[in-house]
Amino acid sequence: VTARILIIEDEALVAMELRFVLEDLGHEVVGVAADVRSARNLVSETDVDLALVDIHLSDGPTGVDLGRELAQKWRVSVLFMTANPGMVRNEVSGAIGVLSKPVDEHAVGTAVDYALKRRSGWSGDHAPSELHLFR
Amino acid sequence: MTEQWDEADRLAALSAYDILDTQPEAVFDDIVILAARLCDTSMAVISLVDGDRQWFKARVGIDPIETERDLSFCDLTMREPGTTVVPDARLDPRFADNTFVTGEPRVRFYAGAPLRSAEGLPLGSLSVLDATARPEGLTPLQLQALEVLSRQVTTHMELRRALRERRESQERLERALAASVHVGAWEWDLIDDHFVGDERFARICDVDPDLAARGAPVSVYVQRLHPDDAPRVLAAYQTAMASGEPFEEEYRVGGDDARWVLGRGEVFAIHGGKALSFAGTVVDITARKRDEQARELLSQELSHRIKNIFAVVSALTALSARQFPEARAFAETLRTRIAALARAHEFVRPHTEASRPTVGAMTLHAFLTDLFKPYAGPDGAPQVVLSGDDAAFDDQAATSVALLFHELATNAAKYGALSVEDGQVLLTTRRQGDRFILSWEENGGPPVAGPPDRSGFGSSLAALSVEGQLGGKLERLWAAGGLRVTADLPATALSRRRAAQIVA
Repeated sequence: VTARILIIEDEALVAMELRFVLEDLGHEVVGVAADVRSARNLVSETDVDLALVDIHLSDGPTGVDLGRELAQKWRVSVLFMTANPGMVRNEVSGAIGVLSKPVDEHAVGTAVDYALKRRSGWSGDHAPSELHLFR
Repeated sequence: MTEQWDEADRLAALSAYDILDTQPEAVFDDIVILAARLCDTSMAVISLVDGDRQWFKARVGIDPIETERDLSFCDLTMREPGTTVVPDARLDPRFADNTFVTGEPRVRFYAGAPLRSAEGLPLGSLSVLDATARPEGLTPLQLQALEVLSRQVTTHMELRRALRERRESQERLERALAASVHVGAWEWDLIDDHFVGDERFARICDVDPDLAARGAPVSVYVQRLHPDDAPRVLAAYQTAMASGEPFEEEYRVGGDDARWVLGRGEVFAIHGGKALSFAGTVVDITARKRDEQARELLSQELSHRIKNIFAVVSALTALSARQFPEARAFAETLRTRIAALARAHEFVRPHTEASRPTVGAMTLHAFLTDLFKPYAGPDGAPQVVLSGDDAAFDDQAATSVALLFHELATNAAKYGALSVEDGQVLLTTRRQGDRFILSWEENGGPPVAGPPDRSGFGSSLAALSVEGQLGGKLERLWAAGGLRVTADLPATALSRRRAAQIVA
């Protein structure tokens, strides 16, 4: 399945590597945003299936609220990716789960696959072990 | 008689009553008036013998309030065990030359009962005097009355001193409490559910001071507790009441601008196994809590940056390897090692409520469970089965433990038991005296022919972690059924900082 993916990440190197990994997997990266404003601009201009959202962005720890907004207002599937998973221990309504950084290509691939399957209405039996799901 | 006391002790005892040169007091005035009436004399005094004078706390019929000690009858009589009676001073060689006898007020008759401190030190006497000689002395009743009254004088002096000491200690307490504006006092009568707090308590806990002074049921104050903290505080109250152990909790009181309070208390007056009263203090610790929160924020920020560095280094490694396809495998290995270190850091750094890992307690088993999470069979069951004694471990040990088991697991995933779906690793940890032993046992993997031809960097890294960093021994056994690895560590190696603290 090919998806349109938005990367929300303020570390340029991490974002670039993630873009390559997603493109290797055959997905289309529609943009990279480092803060809330540019994320909103991108999502309002183009269709997005899935957003990978870091918690700490260049405008502060704004990722959790942004993820909620993307899920609820823009109907985007949301996976958080953070070095501090404790920050999103509580469920963020509409979001799927959280990946701990650093994360390898394989884990990104399986988590993205899982998120896209969930988006297409499939309720899978078990999630990839690296992905902490919101219940 | 021999004097069994020291003059310096006597003067110190007298001074401790803090009575010299004080204003007249009715209770002592009454005693001298009564003594004079009972003994039918024109004069009576309560005389206290200071260093070089005698001073009269109460007097009747005598003008001067003090005289030189040399002129004192009392200085002599107080040294006698019982009452001294001088029927005619002119005939007594001890007093015949005394100016009180030769001049005004022309004392002839004298009787004095000694005043003694609680320790038996002479302080002075209660004396009756008259200008007329009295050859018959005192009647037995008068003698008895004089002695009873002299004991009354010392009893009142003791009482006076006790009251003063209590007042002073109360004043000290008041001053101390007033000086520490952040401490309030409270008492809770459990029988009547009547909770009373002082003015500072009222201010700290943001309740009406009049209400706190009058007292109210405890529910009135419970309403002031922050809703998140109230259940915890009430539970701690219950525990303290049931166990008799001191109560100590930190909690918030008030609404939006809640203040942090340290409440301490203890049940007392236990009757028939039931607590009657609960009393203690509240301390305003809002400033300290703010500092703590600021520190937590800083530590969180710092840790976030450290973890971000791991992520950036990892991304940089992967990006660099994209240019060199032949380096991809190498880069992938390096990245998984970096990820293992990042996990270790996440586990053992000082955590705050918000940053605590989701996996639970920060112990060796919790950490290993998390580390082996990616190795699961097709049914999701873990392929690395962990059992045995758990242990706390700190940041110094964490990187070594992370590297050791990361290498063992990746190796097993390539060549050993984790490379096949049915393979399994039994990891047993056990405390044995002052050693901590970790056994790694692979089963169900491809048959093992023997030791590999050459030992890889991963093996060196594992050996370095155990032998170099943790001060233990690492043994590998290539059994036919699967690799067996034993790491034998000093028990203190996992938590050296704690071990050092215990020794200290």
